[in-house]
Amino acid sequence: MKVDTLVYVLLAIMVCVSLVLFWWFNSSAERRARQLLRAVLTEDQYRQLFQRGYLDIASPSDPQRFYRVPRAHGRVHLIENKILQASLCLQPLDWVPDADYVVIHKLMIEADEQTYLLKANRIVPINASRRIV
Amino acid sequence: MGMLRIISHRGDDRLLWNEQDARAGDAEAMAALREVERIFAQERARGATAFRVEAGKPVERLGQFDPQASQIIMVPRVVGG
Repeated sequence: MKVDTLVYVLLAIMVCVSLVLFWWFNSSAERRARQLLRAVLTEDQYRQLFQRGYLDIASPSDPQRFYRVPRAHGRVHLIENKILQASLCLQPLDWVPDADYVVIHKLMIEADEQTYLLKANRIVPINASRRIV
Repeated sequence: MGMLRIISHRGDDRLLWNEQDARAGDAEAMAALREVERIFAQERARGATAFRVEAGKPVERLGQFDPQASQIIMVPRVVGG
């Protein structure tokens, strides 16, 4: 076998091994994140998240307000009196699995809503139909 | 038995400690508790936020490590996107 052929074969093997390791690492992280999510959410919250694709978290300070957190990375909707008030963008500096993203928003909103609102970037919709519930 | 869960790109890292054994003078339990406290402080210094999460109780933000907590979850530093 020629040397250059051998190099190509070795490179191909290295790429395949890297892809397998990457897939294994990601699926392991996602699995652990889902376990944490399951431990943090109630049965109803967990069902809502996977049936509707989002989780509604009631504001601890305002009974008319809630936050709609998407199942995957994305903006959180701040809804008051059934009307979208703003889209909020807040994310961890490091990448985390989608399930952990939901956990982060839930913990911050429930335990420290004011800091959450201060840190999040806010996008206010312009006059479109904002009634979304 | 307490559990510290640190959210990261790996999902979450879990550390366990036993406060009762540590208080009773068990060397291994005391070392485990010290290690958890050290990691807690290290993560806080990196900007992480800690929450006490216990069944049937409201989530509570923690300023410092509480060895009596049954579960603490640490969230990495967050920024407005």
